Amino acid sequence: MVKIKSKIEEEIQAIFNSDKPWVTIVWDDPVNLMTYVTYVFMELFGYSKERATELMLKVHNDGKAVVSTGSREEMEHDVARLHEFGLWATLQRGDQAL
Amino acid sequence: MSEPAGFSRHGDNAFVAEFSPAEREVLINLAGQIIELLSERADHADEDPLAAMVGITSHDSPPDDEVLLRLLPNAYADGVDAAEFRRYTESVLRNKKKAHAMSMRVLLKSAEDGGVELDHDNANAWLGAINDIRLALGVRLKVEERTHDELELLAPDDPLRGVYAVYTWLGWLQESLLQALMDDSANEVN
Repeated sequence: MVKIKSKIEEEIQAIFNSDKPWVTIVWDDPVNLMTYVTYVFMELFGYSKERATELMLKVHNDGKAVVSTGSREEMEHDVARLHEFGLWATLQRGDQAL
Repeated sequence: MSEPAGFSRHGDNAFVAEFSPAEREVLINLAGQIIELLSERADHADEDPLAAMVGITSHDSPPDDEVLLRLLPNAYADGVDAAEFRRYTESVLRNKKKAHAMSMRVLLKSAEDGGVELDHDNANAWLGAINDIRLALGVRLKVEERTHDELELLAPDDPLRGVYAVYTWLGWLQESLLQALMDDSANEVN
């Protein structure tokens, strides 16, 4: 019960105090080509080649990178699209990120 | 035998490639296998037909099969959230991936002389399909654990050697399509 209650409180807090509380994270993967990851970031998020390349390199070098931020619904949408193209992505609250 | 060329851009929205009969066969076959794999577990006898119609599935656990799990990964680290998300989205994801592979398979089947011409949307479907095949082969090859050198040095009689050759070729093919696509896409966005 305590856990459920705190979860509800968390949700309510998130609703009121949510600027951009959720993030989409892409994790490094030994299969996906660097060019492909860059291309997917450009296609899905409309990022410039420079920005997409920078994010791809962050994933490659650090093992993961935040690639977008927004509401929970928006991040679920982003994760679903990244999964459609085979990137390994998860979402989580921004304040718990990295 | 002609030199491998991969994809090249023709004009604004056409990406063309020529495949040998063997290459065409391999791609058709692999696309078919991905479609079959993604169709597993999709039809449950006990599924609520109305829920199924809107893409809600009765199962919410991650796939047992290692390859399927890589193609349909968890969206959350938290198990409860991951299960809830999967329940509402997995069948949609399966269908999108199947559509990518089908688009590639259908186009190749009709290209009897081995020549294909893709527009931008087709090209994205092909990229997704080729990537799914590489992910599937990658799991079987254990690319997570093995180094590039270990894979290069697989014994000639090791059945994985052929798999690795296809995996490498698909990477090369995907890269050539990406280069063709990115030829001018750098100018389209800011």
